[in-house]
Amino acid sequence: MTENQAVERSKLTSLAEAAAIVRDEDNLAVGGFACARNAVAFSRELIRQGRRDLTLSGVVLGMEADLLVGAGAVKRLIYGGGSLDRYGPIQCINRAYEQGKIVAEYYSSLAVNFRYLAGALGIPYMPIKSMLGSDLLTRLEQDTAADVVKEGECPFTSEHLVLVRALVPDVTVLQVQMADELGNAQILGPRWDNDEAAKAARQVIVITEELVSTDIIRRQPELTVLPGFRVDAVVHLPFGAHPTSLYRCYDHDADHLKLYVGKARTEAGLEEYLDEYVREPRDHFEYLDRVGGLAHLSTLKADPVLGY
Amino acid sequence: MIAAGSREISDGQAVFAGLGIPQLAVALAQRTHAPHVVVLNEAGVVDPHLIELGVGNADPRHWYGASYFGTFLDVVGMLCQRGVVDVGFLGALEVDAYGNNNSSEVLRDDGGIRRFGGGGGANDIASHAKSTILIVRHERRKLVERLVHNTSPGFLDGGDARARLGLPGGGPSRVLTDKAVFGFDDVTHHIKLLSIHPGVSDEELQAATGFALDIPSGCPRTPPPTDEEVRLVREELDPRRMYVGAF
Repeated sequence: MTENQAVERSKLTSLAEAAAIVRDEDNLAVGGFACARNAVAFSRELIRQGRRDLTLSGVVLGMEADLLVGAGAVKRLIYGGGSLDRYGPIQCINRAYEQGKIVAEYYSSLAVNFRYLAGALGIPYMPIKSMLGSDLLTRLEQDTAADVVKEGECPFTSEHLVLVRALVPDVTVLQVQMADELGNAQILGPRWDNDEAAKAARQVIVITEELVSTDIIRRQPELTVLPGFRVDAVVHLPFGAHPTSLYRCYDHDADHLKLYVGKARTEAGLEEYLDEYVREPRDHFEYLDRVGGLAHLSTLKADPVLGY
Repeated sequence: MIAAGSREISDGQAVFAGLGIPQLAVALAQRTHAPHVVVLNEAGVVDPHLIELGVGNADPRHWYGASYFGTFLDVVGMLCQRGVVDVGFLGALEVDAYGNNNSSEVLRDDGGIRRFGGGGGANDIASHAKSTILIVRHERRKLVERLVHNTSPGFLDGGDARARLGLPGGGPSRVLTDKAVFGFDDVTHHIKLLSIHPGVSDEELQAATGFALDIPSGCPRTPPPTDEEVRLVREELDPRRMYVGAF
């Protein structure tokens, strides 16, 4: 490919334009895992744009999902669990669940991952033995996901199985360490559900810490988790995962996570947080200033040997 | 409890260890009698050799020194569901007399639901690992007759119910609390008291348990941790007391 073609096919865009790809009522898969590699800047932008009635999915949810639920942007969850690790629980999600403000399709995490896998493979469902004999299965079948989860028998061995339907997200958002403008996205470290969530999606948005040339991507193609032609938008954004960690780039921000957990304990506190860190900042860079600016963010930079 | 957990781990096993006490128990086993344990992390990490404790499975401190990075599907699907994981060492909010357990939600005093983050891969591990070790704080409302939410099946209603349903894993082998160590009867799969921790009376044990216990006279005492085990945990594994004492 010539350089010209690469330029013509550039998917580089702004955070605001990328967030506009997600529409109200869309099914959005988020790629974070507890306190790691959440696309939190993307969640903040969706909230700023007033997105509503989303269905959100992930195997283990973290701050990007908790924030969206707290801001009232979500009507349904498809998930196996979530936390902010030792800093605390996903309080906005738990509160919405307790108050019946969201419909929670609550699975084993592998079952969520299998739903993505079926979506990624273009097949209608996957069989699984997880959830047999549990209340997870009872509630899904009888209440939250009767059209998605059924029990069945293996036609070959007669084993009793749970069948989970393919999940095809309208949009999957991935926070990554490196990407080129064609969308070739590279992740360092473990990738939890990201491979299947991205490959299942209709559209994929990549938020990248580093924007690199395609030549750099070609030096280590084994790191590319998704071929560029499957990606629809690339946003180049430093500290886009803050306050969660981005392996080999920066550590999670313990002080800010503690602040968030303290605020998210009540609805009023969360509103204060949303005003100060989501609604009032003009853009991502003003947010970064508010959380401490370069002086503070520099202290989070990863040690090149440790990766954190 | 950390030492009792450590002693349940054998050298060379592939082990999932939940955050906190289970992780410390496995780390202690690695530093004492089981140096070749392979630790699995559902984020997609195999065989890490951490040099400092982090805040959770998602903390890169818990990925340090790994020999394999992959995905949730690799670790929970193609190792655990595949049937090659020896032990799942899991914390629980509630456990019943057949080792079924809850990691989802409990009831508040006013009858409302108090939701926790959710079990994540706990059900997958309990369904497929060759054995599971459950760890729970020993209180009447935690060792219960009836669970608020059966997140992860143990032996269901006992006997061969688990095998009949077709759950591939071996089910729970131990329940560890801050008062006692339990196993399960080979046939009925009902919980069975194996040892009581030093300083805990029979009466205190029954009073703190939400189902009837069969306490044999002369029930063995759990061996206390050795000086070396205490030293390793306090000085090397958790010097900042992130997890020790939090239980």
